[in-house]
Amino acid sequence: MKRTSKKSRTILVLEDEQSLLGVIKAKLEKEGIRVLTSRSVEKAFSADLKKSKSGGVTLSSVKTALKHVEDLEQVDAIWLDHNLVGEENGLDFVTKFKRNGGHWSKIPIFVVSNTADPDLVKTYIRLGVNKYYVKAENRLDTIVADIHSSLSHA
Amino acid sequence: MTPVATKILMDKELMHKKELENSQAAILNVLEDHKQESEKILKKKAIDEAILASIGDGLVVVDKEGQITYVNQSFEKMLGWSSKEVLGKRIVAVVPREDEKGEVVPFNERILNRVLRGEVVVADLTNPFYYIRKDKTRFPSSSIVTSIVLEGEIIGVVETFRDITKEKEIDKAKTEFVSLASHQLRTPLSTINWYTEMLLTGDVGKLNAEQEKYLNEVYRGNQRMVGLVNALLSVSRMDLGTFIFEPEPTDIPLLVRSVLDEQMQHIIQKDITVFPALGTNIPLIQVDPKLLRMVVQNLLSNAIKYTPEKGKIEMSLTLTNQKKCLLFTISDTGYGIPKNQQHKIFKKLFRADNVREKDTEGTGLGLYIAKAIIDNSGGKIWFESPASNYTEGEENAGTTFYVELPCKLLEKNK
Repeated sequence: MKRTSKKSRTILVLEDEQSLLGVIKAKLEKEGIRVLTSRSVEKAFSADLKKSKSGGVTLSSVKTALKHVEDLEQVDAIWLDHNLVGEENGLDFVTKFKRNGGHWSKIPIFVVSNTADPDLVKTYIRLGVNKYYVKAENRLDTIVADIHSSLSHA
Repeated sequence: MTPVATKILMDKELMHKKELENSQAAILNVLEDHKQESEKILKKKAIDEAILASIGDGLVVVDKEGQITYVNQSFEKMLGWSSKEVLGKRIVAVVPREDEKGEVVPFNERILNRVLRGEVVVADLTNPFYYIRKDKTRFPSSSIVTSIVLEGEIIGVVETFRDITKEKEIDKAKTEFVSLASHQLRTPLSTINWYTEMLLTGDVGKLNAEQEKYLNEVYRGNQRMVGLVNALLSVSRMDLGTFIFEPEPTDIPLLVRSVLDEQMQHIIQKDITVFPALGTNIPLIQVDPKLLRMVVQNLLSNAIKYTPEKGKIEMSLTLTNQKKCLLFTISDTGYGIPKNQQHKIFKKLFRADNVREKDTEGTGLGLYIAKAIIDNSGGKIWFESPASNYTEGEENAGTTFYVELPCKLLEKNK
C-alpha cells in the first residue's frame, strides 16, 4: 500500500477485544502509522495509555481515552469501537470528545464495530463521525486505506 | 232382569273395572319411566353444561347472525364479561379483535364470519391476533373456529381460544437470544478474518503456495460463517419485528449491475454465461436499497450455486402493468425446484432435496429473507420451475424467479 504522507501520523485506537486490538495495531504500524490504544473511554482520557513499540498507545475505555487525548500533542484520527471496557461506550466517547470543540472536533473518527443496528449507525453519523464500518463485513486493509486517504486530504 | 242376567252384568262390570285398573297401572308405569328418563336427561344436560362451562379454554358459541348464544366460565374470566352481559349480543361488538399493530380486524375478515359463510379457515399461528377485554386491555390469542352443522346446515359457530402471552414471551426471548448470540459471534469471526487477511496479504512474511491455499480455505470458510450469522440476525430481526425499512429513490438497474459485478468471480469460475437485460428508462423506485440488494444477491447467488458449469443465467428488468410496476426476472438453467417441494421453498430453513444432495453450502434462509423483504415492500415474489418430482440424479430445465415492485416514483426522477 502506498504511503500517502511522509509525515508520521498518529491514530488512537479504542477497542475492547485484545485480539482485535492486536491485529489493528499491527496493520496500522505496518502502514507506518503511530498507534495509541485504549480498551476503555476512561483510560483514553488518562495518561494510562499503552505505548507500542513505535511509541503508540492503545486504549479500551472511554474515560482513559478522553484524558489521554488531552495530553496528546496530536492525534490525527480515532479508530473507535462501540462496545468498550467499563460503563461507557463509543457514543459516550464521541459525545464527550465533540463537546470539547476546537481542534478536537476536527479530528476524524472512524467507528468500527460489530453492532450493525441502523439506529446506532445513524446516531454516530449525527454526532459527526466520519464513517461507520461493520467489522465482520469489511477487510482490514479497506478500512486502513480509507483512513489513510482521509488523512492525506486533511 | 233375571238373576242370571244380573250376574252376567256384574261380571262384565267387574272385568271393565279390572281392565281400567290395569290400564291405569300401565300408564302410571309409563309416566314413572318417563319421569326417570327425563331426570336422567336433565342430569346428563347438567353434566354437559358443567363440562362446557369448565373447559380451560375460552369458549363461545354464536348463531348464524353472529349473536352470542353461549359462553363458558373461561370466556368470562379471560375477557371480563359475564355471561348475562353478552348473551344475545353480536360477538364483534363485544370482543373486538386486533392484529399485532393494533388495527381492528374488519367484521368480514373475522374467522368467525368466514366460517359462517362456509369457508374452511386454518388458523395462521405465525400471525397472532389480540382479543380486547372488557377493561380495554388486550392479550394475544390463538383460536380454533369450527362451524356447527345440524342436518347438513350451518346453524352457528363454536370458537375456543387461549391466551398465548407466555408462548409469545418465550418466542421473543428465543429470538432475542439468537440476535445477541449472533452479535457475540461476529467478534471472533472478525478476529479470524483480519488475522487471516494479514497472513494472506503477506504482511507478516511470504507464504508458500500450499500455505496460501490452506489459508484461503480458512478465509472462505470464515466468510461463509459471517454470511450465516448475518442471515440469522436478519431473520431474528424479522421475527422480532425490528427490521427497519428505509425506502429511498433507488436506481435499480445500477443496483442489479453492482450485485452482478460483486459475484462475477463465481460466475467466471463456473463458466456461466449471464445475459443481463436491465432495461432502459427504468425510473428511480422507492425501495430500501440495502434490503433490495439482499434480495438480488440471494437470487443471483442461488442461480449461480444451483446451475451446473457452462450454464446460462438471464436477468431482466421491465416495466409492467401500464408502467405501474417494475418486474425483475432471473432465470437459470439449473437443477430446478422439485415439484413436490415447491410449496415449501420460501419457508425458513427449508432446502430442497436435490440441492442438499449436490451442494452442502446454503442455509435455507435466503429465500425466506427475500420474501419477507419483498412482502414488506408491497411487492410480490414468485417462481416457475418445470422440474418434476425429484428423483435422484435427475436434471431439469431450471428456474425463473420473479420480483414485482410497485413504482411509487414513476414520474420525474432520472
